[in-house]
Amino acid sequence: MAQTDLLELCERVVRRARRLGATQAEAFGERTREATVRVREGEVEDLTRAEGKGIGLRVFKEGRLGFAFTSDFSDDGLELFVRRALALAGAAGRDTANKLPDERLLKLRNPELHGLFDPEIEALDADWKIAAAKAMERAGKAEDRRIAGYESVGAGDFVAETAIHSSEGLHERYRGTYVYLFAAPVAKGEDGQLQTSYWVDYKRRLRDLETPEEIGRTAARRAARMLGAKKVKTQRVPVVFEPTIAASFVAGIAAAVNGDMVRKGSSFLGDKLGKKIAPASVTIVDDGLLPGGISTAPFDGEGIATRRTAVIEEGVLRSFLYDSATARKARAKPTGNARRGYSSLPSIGVTNFHLEAGDTPAQSIVKGVKNGLYVTAMLGRGANTVTGDYSRGANGIWIRDGELAEPVQEITVAGNMLDMLANIDAVGDDIDFRGSLGAPTIRFAELTVSGS
Amino acid sequence: MATRRTTPPARGAKAAGRAPRRQSPPLLGAPLPPPLPIATIERLLGLAMSRGADFAEVYVERGTHTAVTLDEEKIKSATVGMASGVGIRAVQGARVGYAWSDDLDDRTLDQTARTAAAVAAATGSDAPVKVSRIAMPRHYHVVEPLADVEIARKVDLVRRADSAARAYHKRIAQVTAAWADHSRRIAIANTEGHYAEDVQDLCRLHVSVVAQGRDGERRTGFYGGGGRVGMAHFETFRPEEVGIEAARQAIATLGAIEAPAGPQTVVLAPGWSGILLHEAIGHGLEADFIRKGTSLYAGKIGEKVASDKVTVIDDGTMAGARGSINVDDEGVPAERKVLIENGILRGYMFDKVNAKLMKQRSTGSGRRQSFKHAPMPRMTNTYLAPGDLTPEEIIASVERGLYCKAFGGGQVDITNGNFVFEVAEAYLIEKGKLGRPVKNATLIGVGPHALANVSMVGCDPVPDPGLGTCGKDGQSVPVGVGLPTVRIDDMTVGGTKVGGGRMA
Repeated sequence: MAQTDLLELCERVVRRARRLGATQAEAFGERTREATVRVREGEVEDLTRAEGKGIGLRVFKEGRLGFAFTSDFSDDGLELFVRRALALAGAAGRDTANKLPDERLLKLRNPELHGLFDPEIEALDADWKIAAAKAMERAGKAEDRRIAGYESVGAGDFVAETAIHSSEGLHERYRGTYVYLFAAPVAKGEDGQLQTSYWVDYKRRLRDLETPEEIGRTAARRAARMLGAKKVKTQRVPVVFEPTIAASFVAGIAAAVNGDMVRKGSSFLGDKLGKKIAPASVTIVDDGLLPGGISTAPFDGEGIATRRTAVIEEGVLRSFLYDSATARKARAKPTGNARRGYSSLPSIGVTNFHLEAGDTPAQSIVKGVKNGLYVTAMLGRGANTVTGDYSRGANGIWIRDGELAEPVQEITVAGNMLDMLANIDAVGDDIDFRGSLGAPTIRFAELTVSGS
Repeated sequence: MATRRTTPPARGAKAAGRAPRRQSPPLLGAPLPPPLPIATIERLLGLAMSRGADFAEVYVERGTHTAVTLDEEKIKSATVGMASGVGIRAVQGARVGYAWSDDLDDRTLDQTARTAAAVAAATGSDAPVKVSRIAMPRHYHVVEPLADVEIARKVDLVRRADSAARAYHKRIAQVTAAWADHSRRIAIANTEGHYAEDVQDLCRLHVSVVAQGRDGERRTGFYGGGGRVGMAHFETFRPEEVGIEAARQAIATLGAIEAPAGPQTVVLAPGWSGILLHEAIGHGLEADFIRKGTSLYAGKIGEKVASDKVTVIDDGTMAGARGSINVDDEGVPAERKVLIENGILRGYMFDKVNAKLMKQRSTGSGRRQSFKHAPMPRMTNTYLAPGDLTPEEIIASVERGLYCKAFGGGQVDITNGNFVFEVAEAYLIEKGKLGRPVKNATLIGVGPHALANVSMVGCDPVPDPGLGTCGKDGQSVPVGVGLPTVRIDDMTVGGTKVGGGRMA
């Protein structure tokens, strides 16, 4: 039973649900394979290999939704699971917005996307990953003699098939791959201080992956440069976020443009549609079709074609993100942002969400600061989507007279995201994706840094 | 790195009438299927040793998840899912091979065992390994598995919590209430001949609230709880109290002023504030970080790492607590471990692999999220032993400072010891009395400094209400925390208002 055709199985499940009384039914199936290797001191530390699968079934019965998932593909397992979904629909409340996307929406299809699946990744063996992990470990230690070891260093690959069948006329599938490298070195100073950092790369195609040596060296530099970090005084200063940190700030915006949060009055951006909330240098985009993007896919979690949506365009809030049910309630168009795995209902999420590159060279962003903070790591969630309040632990490098001077830690950076957006006074040209979120270096004119 | 989200403790819960009981529909009342036959497990252990490993383990899990979300007074979703599978591990020295499968047919299982075995590149016997049941304590006992409880009773709890939150105040603008439970049956067998089986039920009810103030001000509140408990728990931990507490937080913080930034004396209310210990020191005492030398607490047994008022205990044996386990996910019975005694570091938390490599014994701390994950050392319920001061005495001792009443999540960097945790509800302390509410505060510190600055410990130990989930290396496990009221001097408050003043 290991290789039952996933899409056929989805179709069978939907037919069964319809026969048992569902007005509408949709099955979303996934089959995944992931293999990772970690090394330690030139030896394999662990080899993990996982093969998983599952189907999630949404059924609708007179406006009542039921959902069940299973990883048991035996005939008995599937029968039980279909019946459970229907039983839950019986217990749920009626909601007229509760239905599958209609045929008209499902008919719009993207042209065939290339570059989602790389047969080279599918064929990668453990030896390649072991060699890559060892090369990263060696390169990091060679880069800086203060690298004492690693929290972890390794490589992995992921191969997935996604299938969806709906009673409303949808029968689709696609396959995707990605490969990744990760290194988290620990640097030890002469005074015994320990500092860590990490660096990663994820790519859909093997040939796009950065070399293990590059990842190892970057990770090592990032950890070693934090040695000797101290607290600084509490003050209001210009603050620069390097690209990975800027991407985490952009993730806070992603939560606030979620159409469901907006509709419920739970987003600080909810009443700002059409308004200028940031300088013209700020354009934030969700792009489900981004070439090479980790979250690029032909359709979303309910089969609607993905697309590019400018959320903030030249500083003006242009759009929120929707799945079909929320769009129906908000009288908006779905944006192909239903995200899910087989074990959950679709809910609104981002695809390849990023702040577009500006035209300021990244070096000159730091050069323009006389006294300020360059943030390279953050701790805590710290961003409140409802109020926009933002307060996170930070590590980084203090900027003196336009130069990165000494490392700092045990401080926080705080503000309100709405003020922060308006306060962005530089957007770099160095956009970087480490996963599905991307951003260039950005600078805020002034934020509160709390320390001693 | 570790992150977690959640909130604070129960206040004055009272007993209430029973939720209405109805006949369960037969489909939702199906019992959990049995784990694998012992003979199959013994064969898999043999196959996992076939390449010369020195230890192997088979972990079988059959689980059912149920969740109900009420949004805008409607059942947004009711879901149920079944996930079963087997995780097989082979260990040779410090090398670990791990493979899992959710297909339970013999051919796939055998292949999974051989995949795990391949980490040891030698030859060995593949003869089945006999196992026998170990003696096990019972810190919770599942009478009626949550998976068998009809959905209508869960929906009822959610509705009651939701209604109570809405009725609390006219400025409550949004309420989302949710229930989630997980029933799982696990079996663990290893080549030391041990076999353990457990049924672990876990549930929680939680409510989040948005209050709308004047001039578009919005404040949020969040509360909930549960544990390894049955439906009867919610007769005393009443859904109404959950809704009211979430609403109270949101309303109480309307009109909050900006948090003063910089070092201050802080007083932490009891309960969920135990996240401080979890982040500031707990993770740093997990044996994997110690063995690899990446924790700043490595090699410090017997040394003073905290104020002498600090005694920290990790206890997996607390009855019904969210972090409790009868056995850990390596089949070792849970323990109560004193980690820090009057400021002196006494011990670390060990799983089997790290214990063996460090010539120690497992402390029953090997945990995993599911069969899809290899175990690693984790906390269970981590709390601070009480002192002898009343909370009033502690607050009265502070000339100027911050009283932190409700908390969000936290995170720690094990290596440099920097930790943060979010304060969801806080008040200024002025001349020993509580003043105005403040917003948007985060506490940040370095573990050893913060624990050295614990200057007063209250007599009011409170466990958290049962909401905590701890994340490490991509694996989430349920945990508990607890703290009496404590005073910490010179703690950095991350706020937005500069010039809040430095306090004695």
